[in-house]
Amino acid sequence: MIEAYMLNKHFKIYETKKGFIGSFASLLSTKHHIVKAVNDISFSIEEGEFVGYIGPNGAGKSTTIKMLSGILHPTSGEIKVGGLSPQKRRKEVAKKIGIVFGQRTQLWWDLPLRDSFDILKEMYKVPDGKYQQFLKLYDDMLQIGKFMDTPVRKLSLGQRMRGDLAAAMIHDPDVLFLDEPTIGLDVNAKTSIRAFLKELNQKENKTILLTTHDMDDIEQLCSRVIVINHGQIVLDGTLEDLRRNIGLPSVMEILYRVKPNISEISLNGIEKMKWEEEKLVIDYDRSILSSPHLLQNVTKWGEPVDIQMKEPDIEEVIQKIY
Amino acid sequence: MNLYIKLISGSLRSRMQYKMNFLVSSLSYGLIMAVDFVLLAAILQRFDDVKGWNLYEVGLLYGISSVAITLYRVFCVEVHNFERYMIEGEFDSLLIRPVSPLSLLLTRNLDLSRIGGTIQGILILVISIIGLNIKNVELFLLLIYLPISILSGVIICFSLGLLTATIAFWTQRIKDFQTFTLYAPFNAANYPMNIYPGWLKIIFFTVIPVGFMNYTPILFLLNKGGTLWNLALPPAVAFVFLFLSLRFWHFGIRHYHSTGS
Repeated sequence: MIEAYMLNKHFKIYETKKGFIGSFASLLSTKHHIVKAVNDISFSIEEGEFVGYIGPNGAGKSTTIKMLSGILHPTSGEIKVGGLSPQKRRKEVAKKIGIVFGQRTQLWWDLPLRDSFDILKEMYKVPDGKYQQFLKLYDDMLQIGKFMDTPVRKLSLGQRMRGDLAAAMIHDPDVLFLDEPTIGLDVNAKTSIRAFLKELNQKENKTILLTTHDMDDIEQLCSRVIVINHGQIVLDGTLEDLRRNIGLPSVMEILYRVKPNISEISLNGIEKMKWEEEKLVIDYDRSILSSPHLLQNVTKWGEPVDIQMKEPDIEEVIQKIY
Repeated sequence: MNLYIKLISGSLRSRMQYKMNFLVSSLSYGLIMAVDFVLLAAILQRFDDVKGWNLYEVGLLYGISSVAITLYRVFCVEVHNFERYMIEGEFDSLLIRPVSPLSLLLTRNLDLSRIGGTIQGILILVISIIGLNIKNVELFLLLIYLPISILSGVIICFSLGLLTATIAFWTQRIKDFQTFTLYAPFNAANYPMNIYPGWLKIIFFTVIPVGFMNYTPILFLLNKGGTLWNLALPPAVAFVFLFLSLRFWHFGIRHYHSTGS
């Protein structure tokens, strides 16, 4: 469904100066350095796959998605989306894909949500019957009916994201590119969006490529993970592969009133323990050791004053690959 | 066509959300242009004419160019302010649609506040034509040709705007270029070309062909020289220039960098 072969995107960064003379000079100047945003990337994604595309900021995730969707032209390499090149046949590919950028809405800011849908219906030439079906279906799945007549600028972030997701699906595309769709959302909004994406993937067999900084998104949704760093793929495999490679540690921090005198703890699933004075930091694998079970043990060892649980940061996870 | 109407009406309704802003800016813009012309009129009254052009003749040039320029500013506001799409990476959202990014750009917004300038330009045209006191065939020809001249002017302005916008694919910022490629030539086109030194005249009839908007055809229509070619050239130049700027635009899109998120 999506194929990338030896994909490269190099940016020439010119030194820009101020003013007319400056900008004219930088137009002609040859002083630049080359940034390899995407460097020899190849992968192939089959129909119906749900792929997590992760990596630290500036790793090349967005650049890849922008090339796959025809926004950017690669420096070299080949892309096929649904059998077509997004660069040579951008308009046809645009009809096959839906895109959501978490950071930037694609809706008409000052108009009611309904108007955005009306315009998109016209743009993608969606027949009336199909459009009515769409409105009904997406009201069921995302409850967008409640705020259809509210101007987009007055929607909450969660509502807007639901609107954006629905808008990306209006022409019933086979492929979805989601660039950080859960960024900045609260837990409830995240949960409802994840449920929606899961349904799209499983019931309608949509192919989905998702970038995120939230490990929960990956764990709950993706059957396959591609990890990119410095423009190169460092891992491409199942969630199990990722776990085997680096583990997906959850972190529990326990502050004890008095540092308990425990010499040896053998609990299956604990990966790392570290004392910071009275505070104990435990990295553990949730798939082996459940949090309630660990909590039970933790209280046996001493008298905890405070317990905090943290999710692993994607940046930290990536670092572990090396 | 249906899509075009939907997009335009959408952007109009977006504008209407800020009514006060619209009223104030159209009023002030119309006022500025009126003051501009009053100043010019005052100068002309004192000196009788500018290098062989009297008040009404200059008014004719001024009227055509200001109608063409303000129409460009009304309908191509997003092309004119293209810088924003590069700096904020907003051009992305135009490229993900199954429609050409240029038509999306043109339908995204109308700057109705510039309409005041258009109306003022038309008024100047009417006053000038009455004041010229020409008759019969000459008047008929002038009235027939006026829309052609204005349309060629809009196309030339649009092409210049698009060429300048395309530069943004490389430089991101174009405000500095606009002074030289748009504002100065637009101002220059308000007056007869023969007042400018030779090198400037060459520029205005080649790389920045604003001389064709009004000077070339009016020269012939007011019996100041030239041949029938003076009437055929402006639309021809406009379309060639449009074609070139579209080619450059499509070339530029391939170099679009987008922004990091």
